[in-house]
Amino acid sequence: MDEATRTAFIGTEIGRTTVVVERSAVSFFAQAVLDDDPIYRDQREAEAKGFAGIPVPPTFPFVMQNWGAYGELQPAEGNGSGLAQVLGTLMAGGGLILHGEQAFTYHQPIVTGQTLTGVTVLRDIYVKESKAATMTFVVSETTWSDEAGTPMATATFNIIHRI
Amino acid sequence: MSEPWNLATLSVGSEAPVLTHTLTRTDLVRYAGASGDYNPMHHDEPKALAAKQPSVFGHGMLSMGIVATALTHFIGVGTLETFSVRFARQTWPGETLSTKIVVSAIEGGLVSLDVRLVNDAGEEKVVGQATARLDA
Repeated sequence: MDEATRTAFIGTEIGRTTVVVERSAVSFFAQAVLDDDPIYRDQREAEAKGFAGIPVPPTFPFVMQNWGAYGELQPAEGNGSGLAQVLGTLMAGGGLILHGEQAFTYHQPIVTGQTLTGVTVLRDIYVKESKAATMTFVVSETTWSDEAGTPMATATFNIIHRI
Repeated sequence: MSEPWNLATLSVGSEAPVLTHTLTRTDLVRYAGASGDYNPMHHDEPKALAAKQPSVFGHGMLSMGIVATALTHFIGVGTLETFSVRFARQTWPGETLSTKIVVSAIEGGLVSLDVRLVNDAGEEKVVGQATARLDA
């Protein structure tokens, strides 16, 4: 990827998705990360702990765009596919994509029943060369906000392309 | 389920109960379905072998999710402010993975924790940090 292509991507919005946080998706996800806490399966447990709905496990925001993304909720201009475009450009020459790092910042509890919009911005692309490989680091950041625009959680996704 | 720890019972060096699990291919399939991540490296053995991997391997986010489960059982649901990890190594079916979570600092109500997921040989799979806001 040349310098001009690289810098043109940085700071741009590369995706936008609106989802309904669904109860069955949350309980299935909790089971998949080995969490047997009844709070993810029983509304009464969640209410007893002061939550308005069933809370989501800490890493659920990473997969949130895959559940409850109803067609009628999506922006008319499309969801954007900037990350796929960046990775497609890198993978055109072969290589391997690795998940390098992942970070979350939690602003407010996310609970089932909420409608949230995630906006993804490409934060950085940089290249490290070594004798063994060329590694391109791609950092994107998704902030999920509720219908009032209040930020709920921010997820930072660091991908490494190695060739 | 036991109640989470609170500020009065925590100090620097406090360790969370260890969550230990031997990874199976079924775990990977369940996580693929629950997350929507159908990268064939995590469920399609012939494709993983063709990519010169010894077998299918675990999603990095499954490792982080297991650490998150141990974290919330320790400090409670809804208390986390930040949680970040680096994925150090792949995980493999048959490996026994254990969480290692220790309190590294307490300032006011903000508790900092060092988190790791390791296998039986002590190899680190994920390494990271978390902060949680706890009531006095």
